[in-house]
Amino acid sequence: MAPLDATAYSECSEVLAEPFKRDKVASIMDTSIGSQYDELREEVRSFFAANEDVAVPAGPGFGGDASEVRNRVVKWQKRLVDAGYAGREIPQRYGGAGHEPDALASLVIEEEFQNAGLSLGMENQGISMFVPTLLHFGREDQKQDLISPTIRGELIWCQGYSEPGSGSDLASLRTSAVLDGDEYVINGQKIWTSGAREADMMFALIRTEADAGKHGGISYLVLSMDTPGLDVRPLMTMTGDASFNEVFFTDVRVPATNVIGRPGQGWEVGTYTLRFERNMLGRSNATENYMAGCVDILRERGLIDSPVYRDRLLKLEGRVQAMKYHQLRLLTDRLKKRDSGAGGLIVKLNNCQLNYDICALAIDAMAEQGVLKRGSKHVRDYGNWQRNYMYALGLIIGGGTAQIQKNIIGERGLGLPREPKPAAA
Amino acid sequence: MDFGLTQPQELLRDSIARFLAQDVGIERVRRVMDSESGQDEAIHGQLGDQGITGLLIDMNRGGSELGMQEAAIAAQEIGRAAAPVNFHSSYVLAPLLIAGADGGERRNGLLEGIAEGRTLITPILDAPIENGRVVPDAAWSDAFLLESGGSLHLLEATTAGIDIEPLQTVDDTRRVAEVTFSGVDLNAAESLGGSAESSQRAVYAAQIAIAADALGAAQKGLHIAVDYAKERKQFERIIGSFQAVKHICAEVLAEVEPVQSLLWHTADAWDDGSDEIDHFAPLLKAHATDVAPGLRRHRLHPRVRHAHLLQARRPRPPGAGESDGAQGAGGGCDVRLRGTLELRPE
Repeated sequence: MAPLDATAYSECSEVLAEPFKRDKVASIMDTSIGSQYDELREEVRSFFAANEDVAVPAGPGFGGDASEVRNRVVKWQKRLVDAGYAGREIPQRYGGAGHEPDALASLVIEEEFQNAGLSLGMENQGISMFVPTLLHFGREDQKQDLISPTIRGELIWCQGYSEPGSGSDLASLRTSAVLDGDEYVINGQKIWTSGAREADMMFALIRTEADAGKHGGISYLVLSMDTPGLDVRPLMTMTGDASFNEVFFTDVRVPATNVIGRPGQGWEVGTYTLRFERNMLGRSNATENYMAGCVDILRERGLIDSPVYRDRLLKLEGRVQAMKYHQLRLLTDRLKKRDSGAGGLIVKLNNCQLNYDICALAIDAMAEQGVLKRGSKHVRDYGNWQRNYMYALGLIIGGGTAQIQKNIIGERGLGLPREPKPAAA
Repeated sequence: MDFGLTQPQELLRDSIARFLAQDVGIERVRRVMDSESGQDEAIHGQLGDQGITGLLIDMNRGGSELGMQEAAIAAQEIGRAAAPVNFHSSYVLAPLLIAGADGGERRNGLLEGIAEGRTLITPILDAPIENGRVVPDAAWSDAFLLESGGSLHLLEATTAGIDIEPLQTVDDTRRVAEVTFSGVDLNAAESLGGSAESSQRAVYAAQIAIAADALGAAQKGLHIAVDYAKERKQFERIIGSFQAVKHICAEVLAEVEPVQSLLWHTADAWDDGSDEIDHFAPLLKAHATDVAPGLRRHRLHPRVRHAHLLQARRPRPPGAGESDGAQGAGGGCDVRLRGTLELRPE
């Protein structure tokens, strides 16, 4: 249909006249992906058939011995990278598949993995946050060295951002480095460092220029976790894991060439990384898998017809489906290169809370089984429900707390004024 | 992949919004709210002139033969404007029930009357009526369409033995009355035929329209609250800069905005004749009406809303313009309790 000039019409009756009448069937919103992607779909399906031996399921049904799990996940990751489903848009010279960005191809792949109930590979701070940052700000030699092993799961990263006195107000961080010849010497402390003991490398925000102001004196450094002077101490959380750590730096010497971007550009580089964290934490695929798992539990327990459980389940289903179609709306915006405005800012806030609420319902439905810890006799789904219930609570805080998200939505999405700075004492 | 309204649909939405803003502004809504009867006699004819009453009616019966997506667009704008009309009942449920009937000439005449906005037919689901029923628009309906197990009977409102007693409502834009039949011979009522399948489909459409209305009202409520939060000052600060206020606005946006996508998908499923509608229409209706009154649950604007309601009630001196801050910004509007309307008991 030819574009219509909105200003040409003042009355609905005119709008409803001839130009508007059209074949109703054609008016159904196009949520299809187009037959040009059928081949890709077939290709993904034959990949599943050929790689069954190491396939990693998505959702609550996968777990067991930690090192076996990790080996399997890494094996699966390598196959995904080789097939071009992980690291899909990473250039070939850095070990990726070098595909042009294509949101619909990504959607087809996601759909097929979702339908098969399989994991679309590792989602960690290295792959989801560090690599896109490095691609944008890194030097050629840094990209050559670091990207390929990271996307293949051979190089695991942790993020050295938060400090005891610097959480939401991250730019107040105090861990600092002084230049000594061609090396930085770092002293200070990071905290809430997820996966620091398993990590091979860290990307960190370090104050390298004492007099350059709050945001201007920070650099984005990468360092090996084997570097002398690093001391990692686990922090036990209620999940029963020590996934968080404190990391102490005592005269830790790092080559000055390990800066990503320019020295003093760290705030810009670091906040670029955080954008990817918000996306990583807001993905909805896992949400649908957990929702399906939750329905299974209610069925098995004979609670699916209980009015109390059904009410909670349907409230969740309304939110899950609303967010599912909201993602299609955001995808359409992306394809049309339109800004989604406030619509894009609400995803992390909603999905983290939703994941938590789904696990809460499943655990309530499990009754006594719901209190069991991972590894216990009778525990369901390797204790993943309990773990995710508690971990999701952490994600509501992590990656920009729900409160910070609400500030962002209020200020950037709704145009409400910022909190005024307190008057100097 | 193109998930969103088409350009003609956006044009339709904007035209309806413009018409409502011009002709069914908040002053008129307030007059209806303050009137004894709560009736807006002219609105049906005006909606008919604009083609809004005939969106779902065939072209050869005077309608524009569009789909649920377009009807939902109209319902959402009507909710946004708090227009005093039960669109879901008069212009979604009634025409769809009648269109599914096999009443021949009579059926065609009724549809033509609805499309023109001169015939107001109010469906009563799960008839017969025992001991009275609370029915919207009952005091000024031309006829009642009794639906039971898919079969339809039409009763002129003037039929002897129909008793109509207006009731007090919390939402003054949507009056209801108690309808009691005493000594009415239902067997003598005119049968229009009908089928359970077509009734069910009409009910799904009405559920979508109620959800769209609630969503429009919720979006307007948020809009008013945010505008007010941007100009009201306390403690020498714009109150919207307080996180206590800002966060509630953000929470409501995060809850309400995704409902738009759920609405689009559900209206699509209806238009497409997809089986999914059995799941999505009731889910949408439950979710949207859960979220829309959430505005109150969140305490977003007891204060803001109350202020607007008070302004709505306070007689203004002649010649007073819209210069008052709170008034001018929001245009005044109250989020109605439409969400609490249930179409059909469990």
